[in-house]
Amino acid sequence: MPKIKKKGQAGQARNYITRTKAVKKLQLSLPDFRKLCIWKGIYPREPRSRKKASKSATASTTFYYTKDIQYLLHEPLLQKFRDQKVLEKKISRALGRGDVSDAARLERNAARPDKTGKPRYTLNHIIRERYPTFIDALRDLDDCLSMLFLFANLPSTSAVPAKMIARCERLCLEFQHYLIVSNSLRKSFLSIKGIYYQANIQGEDILWLVPYKFNQRVVGDVDFRIMGTFVEFYMTLLGFVNYRLYTTVGLKYPPKFDQLKDDQGAELGAFALEGVNIATGEETKAITNGESEHGPDPKVQAEVDKLVQQLRDESNEKTEEAQAEDADGDEKPSDAIDKFEPVAPGGDVLPQPSYSSSDPSQLFSKFTFFLSRETPRQPLEFILRAFGCKRIGWDSVLGEGAFTTDESDPSITHQIVDRPVVQAAVSGEGDGEDNQTAQKLGPNARYPGRVYVQPQWVWDSINDEELKSPELYAPGAALPPHLSPFVKPTQGQYDPTIPLEEQQTEGEAIAAQLEDANEEDGEESEVENDMDIAEDDDEDEDEEGESDEVEEEDEEEGSEEEDESATLQRQIELEAEISGKSVQSKKKVDAKTKAKLEEKKALERRQKQEAEDLERAKGMLSKKKRKLFEQMQYTNNKKSAEDMKLREKRRRLEKEKRA
Amino acid sequence: MGSKLTEKKRKAREPESDSESDNELANGLFDGVLSQSEDEEDYLPSDNGDDDVDDSESESEGSDGSEDGGEDDDILSDDIPSDVDGEEEISKLVKQQQELEITEPGVDPKRKDDDGEEKNYRIEKDANGGERYVYDEIDPVYDSDDSDAQGPVNTIGDIPLSFYDSYPHIGYDINGKKIMRPATGDALQSLLDSIEVPKGWTGLTDVNTGNPLNLTQEELELVRRVQMGLLPNEIEDPYPDTVEYFTSIEEKMPLSSAPEPKRRFLPSKNEAKQVMKLVRAIREGRILPYRPPEEREREEEEQEEQHFDLWQNEEPQAPNPLHIPAPKLPPPGYDLSYNPPEEYLPSKEEREEWENADPEDREKPYLPQKYNALRKVPAWGSLVNERFERCMDLYLAPRVRKNRLNIDPNSLLPKLPSPSELKPFPTVVQTIFRGHEGRVRSVAIDPTGIALATGGDDGTVRVWELLTGRQVWSVRLNSEEPVNAVRWRPAKDSFILAAATGEDIFLMVPTHASVTPALDQASRDVLAAGFGYATNGQQQALPAGKEPPAKWARPGTKLEDEGVLVRITVRSTVKVINWHRRGDHFATVSPTGQRSSVAIHTLSKHLTQIPFRKLSGLAQTAAFHPLRPLFFVATQRTIRCYDLQKLELVKVVQPGAKWISSFDIHPGGDNLIVGSYDKRLLWHDLDLSNRPYKTMRFHSEAIRQVRYHKGGLPLFADASDDGSLQIFHGKVPNDQLENPTIVPVKMLKGHKVVNKLGVLDIDWHPREPWCVSAGADGTARLWM
Repeated sequence: MPKIKKKGQAGQARNYITRTKAVKKLQLSLPDFRKLCIWKGIYPREPRSRKKASKSATASTTFYYTKDIQYLLHEPLLQKFRDQKVLEKKISRALGRGDVSDAARLERNAARPDKTGKPRYTLNHIIRERYPTFIDALRDLDDCLSMLFLFANLPSTSAVPAKMIARCERLCLEFQHYLIVSNSLRKSFLSIKGIYYQANIQGEDILWLVPYKFNQRVVGDVDFRIMGTFVEFYMTLLGFVNYRLYTTVGLKYPPKFDQLKDDQGAELGAFALEGVNIATGEETKAITNGESEHGPDPKVQAEVDKLVQQLRDESNEKTEEAQAEDADGDEKPSDAIDKFEPVAPGGDVLPQPSYSSSDPSQLFSKFTFFLSRETPRQPLEFILRAFGCKRIGWDSVLGEGAFTTDESDPSITHQIVDRPVVQAAVSGEGDGEDNQTAQKLGPNARYPGRVYVQPQWVWDSINDEELKSPELYAPGAALPPHLSPFVKPTQGQYDPTIPLEEQQTEGEAIAAQLEDANEEDGEESEVENDMDIAEDDDEDEDEEGESDEVEEEDEEEGSEEEDESATLQRQIELEAEISGKSVQSKKKVDAKTKAKLEEKKALERRQKQEAEDLERAKGMLSKKKRKLFEQMQYTNNKKSAEDMKLREKRRRLEKEKRA
Repeated sequence: MGSKLTEKKRKAREPESDSESDNELANGLFDGVLSQSEDEEDYLPSDNGDDDVDDSESESEGSDGSEDGGEDDDILSDDIPSDVDGEEEISKLVKQQQELEITEPGVDPKRKDDDGEEKNYRIEKDANGGERYVYDEIDPVYDSDDSDAQGPVNTIGDIPLSFYDSYPHIGYDINGKKIMRPATGDALQSLLDSIEVPKGWTGLTDVNTGNPLNLTQEELELVRRVQMGLLPNEIEDPYPDTVEYFTSIEEKMPLSSAPEPKRRFLPSKNEAKQVMKLVRAIREGRILPYRPPEEREREEEEQEEQHFDLWQNEEPQAPNPLHIPAPKLPPPGYDLSYNPPEEYLPSKEEREEWENADPEDREKPYLPQKYNALRKVPAWGSLVNERFERCMDLYLAPRVRKNRLNIDPNSLLPKLPSPSELKPFPTVVQTIFRGHEGRVRSVAIDPTGIALATGGDDGTVRVWELLTGRQVWSVRLNSEEPVNAVRWRPAKDSFILAAATGEDIFLMVPTHASVTPALDQASRDVLAAGFGYATNGQQQALPAGKEPPAKWARPGTKLEDEGVLVRITVRSTVKVINWHRRGDHFATVSPTGQRSSVAIHTLSKHLTQIPFRKLSGLAQTAAFHPLRPLFFVATQRTIRCYDLQKLELVKVVQPGAKWISSFDIHPGGDNLIVGSYDKRLLWHDLDLSNRPYKTMRFHSEAIRQVRYHKGGLPLFADASDDGSLQIFHGKVPNDQLENPTIVPVKMLKGHKVVNKLGVLDIDWHPREPWCVSAGADGTARLWM
């Protein structure tokens, strides 16, 4: 006789554990358990059968894997939590006894990370445990960055200590510095929520959101203790990630931080990166403006120039020699990928990483920017620097660290402006002489030889990896729509970048043309008619192929309809003959609309046929598969309905624009 | 009395002695006064210890005296008056004193008793010269043994003395005698008192006695000390120094002369251990040297978090299969742009709908918005909340791996052959054969495909020209019972039709335009051959008394003229006829026939055999295998396959239907379709399993008949009580490994439902994709 199996001894009943039981098993308080779960990355699971997993009569809400909890049992942090608990108990007991001095002494020993932002424990081992490789850590960096950037912009409260905010800000700026140095920022997007950035580090795409520089409002019930726990973990994580990133590009971490500059609002400029090889010491880069020699005394400048000139000459000579060598000798070995060209036709073409003529990371390298005081300085500075710009100036109100605060600096090539064009008489008088005399210009006045653009130009340029035409983004101009670079075009989905004609369905096209035709009855624009005809022909051809079989089946109806249309056509032709030329055009239009109508009918017929076929095929599916199929169809139909709505709106808008 | 007297005497003598002693003190100036005061003093109720001592002293003195005198008293009792000087004054005083003594509170009597106890014996010398105690005689008076006898006590109780102010007495003693008011000093006396305040004078009157209350010096001192807050009685030092029993004075000499042990001057190992423990703790940082808290805090702040390369020796681990990484947030779409394309902006209705909807019901938590300049973009209000939600999701949301089928839904659909491949199949009704009264029960197309035979409720069998629908031949077989089945003999060398009505099976040769006389003759020969056999060849000798399973006979001249040539009578109503492919045998099934329900008839021998002695369940229908010598019999639930050569059961097919109505075998022989009254059409692959390969439920009513096309077209059809026929494309591939494709192609509707019966029978044309159906509405229809 086999052993009798007892209920609740194996299987799901053993594999899952409720939260209450887990807390009891770990001998922790619920907040401590929560912390531990957050740090260790333990999350609830959904048992396949809740009934089997729970032993109690009441419905438990949260289940964990028993093995996960067992794993938590060996966590060294557990002891820290318990110690802390003991300490708290001691303090409260001392206070109960009225022994204030004892309580104060114990209180001094207590680590209060929620107040000081500095715990007594470290989370290093947890990070190593959760992310065995660096790539794993990078993969999980999305939430980390979004969170830290948000906290860097929060006002300090009792729940969010100022030190924590400062630390978040510092870590974020250090990370930004890495992105600038390594040119790994790829895309950015101005959304209504904030600014999205996407970077590619070691092949991992990292996307994060940075809020606009406003005071963040906290509404609703937000538990900052939970967020604080996350931030604590993320701060440690980003610290180590930063260290690793800095060392990979040969920089020392942490970079030198200038408190004074930071107090003056230099932000990125408050850091000075230095190479790992400290002995040389010369590698210290003034990250801010590549132009550390900007504004030294002219003598030194002259000497330096001379030296530079000499060096340049030498190097020129060298390069010339080298070129000569190259010409007669072999090609220089390089570590770049070679381009494979098919020698003989017939072979498959394999995709290769393409060499664009210009490196997108050096998009702005040749320019000097000036940011007007109404533009958001931080994101612009970061993006411009990440895309190779070395010299960025801004109005002194925007903080320390500018290349120049003088708007009239002649080296400025681009100025980013975000203010409306003032429609006033001032523009008339302010153009001429004021330019030379006054430091500040009139509202609409421009410095000659400078490109004035709105901020969106920067974003659109980096997303398309090419400099957009500045005319479109001129101050006061109606901006072209700002599109998300993260949307991957999928087949059949609405894409605002493609003209409507290329993506609308046949039925829509016909309906639209019909509408047009109806409207055009009065107007008769010949050109468009011709176009329509051309399109029609194409579609006709398409349809004929498909509708062959259809017609066999629906012979009766189809033939009737055809007969009708034929008689109608005849009638019209006859009428036309009688009336003469004047009606010719009308007749033509009529004929065209009729053709459209016919097309529409054919289309409907075909659709009907397809639906029938579908039904037939669905009948052959098993019940399970049919349900799945119907579900999929439901979502697809929903999507396509949305797309259709968008196309409709766009058609209407376009029509309005034309009118 | 004597004792009292002695007392009196004694008392009487006391003043003397007192006076004597006083005399010693004072010069006897105020003799009487002093003695008086002395007496009064004596009578005070609150006597101090000191006084007592004095008293006792004085008394003992007196007693000593009295003792000595006592002897005399006793002896000279009568002599008292004589003994005492006859002075009246003295006697008066004694009297007074006696009276005073009565009012005295019971201290003195006690004392007296004590005295008495002590001295109530005398020591005499006995004859031997030894001591001898001689006790007094006990005076047996009333109260004499009352040692507690008190002096006269005022018994008026707790009432003010002032009540007695107007009386000479102040109350009554225990014997009810008046207690006289003590004599108060006369005017002179009071004057004297006022002039010279006596020692201890208070000016108060004793409540009990009415005498002026005087306090002694000691009493006054006590009162003073109490008032001053000092100790009531004078002690020199209330807190004297403790006297130590053991002093700390070092002894000069050692107690033990043992030499000093070595451990006294060796360093302690235990201490060294303790110290090392501390040292280790300090080295390990468990004990930190004390620093003022401010300094420590500052240091902690300065101490930067130590960073190092955490992933220096990283080794990739295979991801835990149970771990589900948190899904990333979806990237923002076009509609989140601060300046989206205009078609993404919500219309007015959409905006209203969004605003009116509950935040949980909204499809998106935001509305697309357009700002024409970056500077106009405000802060996003719920950003913190969104991040918080994300945090909550990360740690609290149960993660479940959901397999999202990211496939084109159309790929789920089976690859159906294109409609052109499926063709041809019947689509429209071509001919309607009208003529039967009542239902048409059975239809059959002859092997050449020219003629159609039908049998109906009216008991007639009719033969029609298939294409035109013209009736060419008709015969009434039975006026009462319907013709249940008509079937042509499959061989083309004859033109024989079998029809079943009631318990009779008729074999006939109808007249038809296509039937040449030769063919007609050949057919008649085939039918007649059996008669010769029956008469010439010996029928198997039947056991006596046993009825033969069937009777083969000629139906009678009338019918024979019509062309009906043979009648076979079996035991019960025949419902189904099925021919063997060669045309020599045919099987009939009569479901009510119990053990003789299935019969196999041999045409050439006019022989009927009943193959089954017993059959499990009611036989529904039976058929021969188209190629091999197999015989299929369907009971209600199963279809059994028997080998006719080996005479054994080969296979049991279980379609799972509740009640099988009909089945048909694919001309290839490996597949089977089964129709059932519970609306199911089942396809069996005989090689695959005895369970159905496909189940089709496309009918809303029972299925009556199923048929394969036997002429090489991959078609089959079923007829149902819902009045429709369904045509399926069922292709059986030549490759054994491939599964047959079954595609429903057409639903043919046209028959009317009469009495819940729709289409009763169906038959395919032997070559063309045409089929004929028999309807309960009295028509047969040709579909093509």
